[in-house]
Amino acid sequence: MNSRRMTVIGPEASPPLDVLIIDDDAASAEACRRILEEDGYRVAVAGDGEQGLRMAEADNPSVVLLDPEIAGVAGFEALGRLAEAASATVPVVMTGKGTVDSAVESMRLGAHDYLAKPVNPERLLESVRRGVELGRLRRRAHAPRMKQDLLLQALALLEEAYSLGMGKRTLLEELAGLETEAKRHAQSLGRTWDKGRAIAEIREDLLQADAIMRSYGFRKNALIQTLLDVQEKFHWLPRHILEWISGRLDVPLREIYGIVHFYEAFSLEPRGRHSFQVCTGTACHVRGSSELLSRVSAALGLQPGQTDSRLTYTLETVHCLGCCALAPVIQIDSDYYRDPDRSRLDKIIKTMQREEAQA
Amino acid sequence: MKRLKTVADLEKLRAEAVAQRNAKDWLEVCTGSGCLACGAEAVADALDGEIEKRGLGHKVGVRRTGCHGFCEGAPLVVIHPSDTCYTKVQPKHAAPIIDGLGAGEGPVRDLLYLDEGTGERIERLQDIPFYRHQERVLLGDNVRIDSSSILDYIAVGGYGALAKALSEMTPESVLHEVKKANLRGRGGGGFPAGRKWETTRNAPGEPKYVIVNADEGDPGAFMDGSLLQGNPHSVLEGLILGAYAIGAAEGFIYVRQEYPLARKSIEIAIEQAREYGLLGRNILGSGFSFDVVIHRGAGAFVSGESSALMSAIEGRVGEPRPKYVHTSEKGLWGKPSCLNNVETWATVPHIIDKGADWFRGMGTEGSKGTKIFSLVGKVKNTGLVEVSMGIPLRDIIFKIGGGVPDGKSFKAVQTGGPSGGVIPAALLDLPVDFDELTKAGSMMGSGGMIVMDENTCMVDTARYYTSFLAHESCGKCVPCREGIRQMLAILDNIAAGKGREGDLEILEELAEFMQVASLCALGQSAPNPVASTLKYFREEYEEHIRHGRCRAGICTALIAYEIDQEKCQACGACQRNCPVDAIDKSEAGVFTIVHEKCIKCGACLKACPAKFGAVVKVPAGAVLRKSAEEIGLAGTSR
Amino acid sequence: MDTIRLEIDGRAVEGAPGTTVLQAARSAGIEIPTLCDDDRLEPFGACRMCMVEIETAGGRKRVVASCVYPIEEGLRVWTKTETVVKIRKMVIELLWPSWQTYAEEYGVTSSRFQTGIADCSQCGRCLRYCAEIKKENRIYFKGRGVERRPALVEGAELSCRSCGECFTLCNSGWIASRY
Repeated sequence: MNSRRMTVIGPEASPPLDVLIIDDDAASAEACRRILEEDGYRVAVAGDGEQGLRMAEADNPSVVLLDPEIAGVAGFEALGRLAEAASATVPVVMTGKGTVDSAVESMRLGAHDYLAKPVNPERLLESVRRGVELGRLRRRAHAPRMKQDLLLQALALLEEAYSLGMGKRTLLEELAGLETEAKRHAQSLGRTWDKGRAIAEIREDLLQADAIMRSYGFRKNALIQTLLDVQEKFHWLPRHILEWISGRLDVPLREIYGIVHFYEAFSLEPRGRHSFQVCTGTACHVRGSSELLSRVSAALGLQPGQTDSRLTYTLETVHCLGCCALAPVIQIDSDYYRDPDRSRLDKIIKTMQREEAQA
Repeated sequence: MKRLKTVADLEKLRAEAVAQRNAKDWLEVCTGSGCLACGAEAVADALDGEIEKRGLGHKVGVRRTGCHGFCEGAPLVVIHPSDTCYTKVQPKHAAPIIDGLGAGEGPVRDLLYLDEGTGERIERLQDIPFYRHQERVLLGDNVRIDSSSILDYIAVGGYGALAKALSEMTPESVLHEVKKANLRGRGGGGFPAGRKWETTRNAPGEPKYVIVNADEGDPGAFMDGSLLQGNPHSVLEGLILGAYAIGAAEGFIYVRQEYPLARKSIEIAIEQAREYGLLGRNILGSGFSFDVVIHRGAGAFVSGESSALMSAIEGRVGEPRPKYVHTSEKGLWGKPSCLNNVETWATVPHIIDKGADWFRGMGTEGSKGTKIFSLVGKVKNTGLVEVSMGIPLRDIIFKIGGGVPDGKSFKAVQTGGPSGGVIPAALLDLPVDFDELTKAGSMMGSGGMIVMDENTCMVDTARYYTSFLAHESCGKCVPCREGIRQMLAILDNIAAGKGREGDLEILEELAEFMQVASLCALGQSAPNPVASTLKYFREEYEEHIRHGRCRAGICTALIAYEIDQEKCQACGACQRNCPVDAIDKSEAGVFTIVHEKCIKCGACLKACPAKFGAVVKVPAGAVLRKSAEEIGLAGTSR
Repeated sequence: MDTIRLEIDGRAVEGAPGTTVLQAARSAGIEIPTLCDDDRLEPFGACRMCMVEIETAGGRKRVVASCVYPIEEGLRVWTKTETVVKIRKMVIELLWPSWQTYAEEYGVTSSRFQTGIADCSQCGRCLRYCAEIKKENRIYFKGRGVERRPALVEGAELSCRSCGECFTLCNSGWIASRY
């Protein structure tokens, strides 16, 4: 049962521990342990901060799941000390008192991810999976004895590159290009430039893009279908993925950008987690959709096509939702509303804000 | 073993499916997009729960069906076999509905359709005026089919036409039957489908393709989406018949991105048809093989144009091709490709099953059969309607649609979407068919029918469609791109009260130019909304230009909102609803509008209780007089 | 292959199958005005300047873009009728003032339209040349409808070889005005 673990190339001492949970809420810690162990991870639990930090230093786990509200060590102190004690470890914060401020603070102190309690199993697994992989990469970079292993792998790659008629320089140029993309991508999302993390993420993205292209047999004429799947998965089309697809399918970027700018379904910017779609079909138009649109626009403080800076809401217009009997209609996430008034809209937005703060 | 190897296998399966259905009473819950939006899924769940609770699973079943058509009554539930039709059903009604089944307590009266004219409740679906005047050849089965069940489709006679064609007819005779029926394409121009099929069949080049156009892009039209979602096998069966007649081995279904439910439905249908051997190799043991691929659109109105649609399937930008060769001869990858829309394909099994003569028995000289319309806008009974060709517009709008709501008067009906035009009240007795609508300066289009009342501004309507096209044109050729750009600029000026003498003549000249010079049908028909509103409502344009007046009270630059100081009861509803805080309390303690801040969204008018009626629309700049009546606007309430 | 015979402005003209009406006219020394046409590139059919009136052997009359209409036996073509002159004047007027090559010939000296909002004629020669001849694929049409514009591929600014040949192709000076 460790299908989710990455296959490790070359001789690498396996870490004794994948995940260390530092949490004084025994029930919650147990629940997390069960979920993770079922997925094949090696897990240990520490019931207080001091013990946790000692274990982290000794066992050098890939990921530490930490509740900053824990007894024994105050506030976010544990997070800071963790970075000193086990620098290759990837910290993930989970807390029941989720506020936007605490999320920002955790991220500032180097947390890799931020989970709200009670923890959603899928989110937990996804976060740990990414963390373990990142931890593996970090460990390689941190341990000097690993340098030789890395060189061996690089030589193997070079050998393959030469056999494909690709020079070392081209290989390095391409890699450097991807690194630049990773940097640009991180910045476009408003993140600080953390090389290891950005490259891990971009690699993950490219693997997913590959999986999508594979499902269409890497056919060029499935380009639009491929892009639709990428859009659905990521909610937008990051540039590094487009360039990757261009290379894989041997389609000029010009054609890809032509398609992306031509069709309505694609977005080159991240969209908000909540979507507000005002129908501007004819039936809605004659029943006052423009009045509804200005009301929604004013309530959100966004123009159609815009997303707020925190990526919470996106306001869009759509030509016809096919439920003309409700005209004028707005679709908010998956629910439809017939001509909601201001107080109704305010209520919906407030609920979203509350949920955002908790998450 | 599911795979049907012969026609006899199919008939045996049909007998079983019918027997299974007849063993139970069915609660047919409409799960079309309109009903889903009104909570149909919760209703279906509640009915399921109630049946389970009472242990009635062996006697009663819930069937989640496609769109029934009568969206105004959403969510809808129909009882089979009694045909009792319940409207506006809530989950709490599950128990009384089940109490009322069979020899129980009888129908739940409060949920039956209320005829406003007679004040009576009507029980059976076919007696409700909305349905009574229709001819539901294609839509009728939507009520009786769970689209995820191929057995449901087979039970109502599905794939019978295919079995007949494969076992008794040659491809030529299938083609002949469709030609004889004079089936015209339901997607736009009304080109005879049989002739198109023949062209593709005879065109040199292999392989040949058949394609379903489910890129229904007309805003305000949802016929094809509903048909594909509610009865996907009928479209599939039609396509297989077409492929047989034409000699195609591969087909494509191009589904609009905005229709996820329809897409899911056709995906399931294809999967099932393959399992049962109705799609794939050696269909029903006939030696004929055919398969289908779904292609999702990515959101572009122009992709409905045949050559643009084929470019999109090839994975390229969906621009129309500037070639003077029809796609039926050189289409997908340069091969002969026959494209018809959803409704056209779905009609084919009926023609093969019942014969061309039956089909020709409905409709007019030039337009045979039935046509589905989405009847929307300012009409009481919004929904999907299917009628015999040739029925007067008046019957559709008034007998079926129940006329214009809120005591307003009928002004015009728009047909044919952005490529069509408006038809004024004076032409209400126009028989609806391809040729008559074109003569009137509109077109059939795919079947959108948007009813407009006195509060609809014709300049605004033209502007709405033109601005739609400004973004939906591919932008390639000069006449369409620049013509639309300038038309829109002129219309914007007129709507803003800045129109000039001579504007209308320029609009007409541009319209004529675009009709002749544009590269594809989208550009050639793009001026229709402007040309037809100018033709029938020229005086409304002139009022905007000469007097800065919008009689419908729609063009925001020409109107303002005011609060009648004497009628205002200071309840504060308007202020609470104003999104931009443009309402102040005056010294007298009542409310006033701060015009500098007002964005004219109408929220205050909506919020003001009808019994006060203090918020009114007035011409911009007009000083509020004693009462709204004196202002002389056609309508001042909501 | 057989030769196809047709008539252009009353003159008998011959051409090989696959020849367009525009090519056939040119080979006979008959000038048809064009904007998006470039004999090195695939026909584009976008500007509609080259529209002509035709009558097929079957007697069907139409107005077509001569750059994409293939010649056929017995076709009769008129290159300067009242209808096509009206179309050309309107094209010039709609693109005013950015493209005036034929303005004088067609007597257009101003435009009744809001000018300056269509500064690029979108003949597509820059991007078609870049893709078809230079095989570079650096320029594409961004967006659709009235918002459509030629644009450099995002990130291609640095890798463009700067051959500058697209500048000389630009009819309306749109590229030069931007770089």
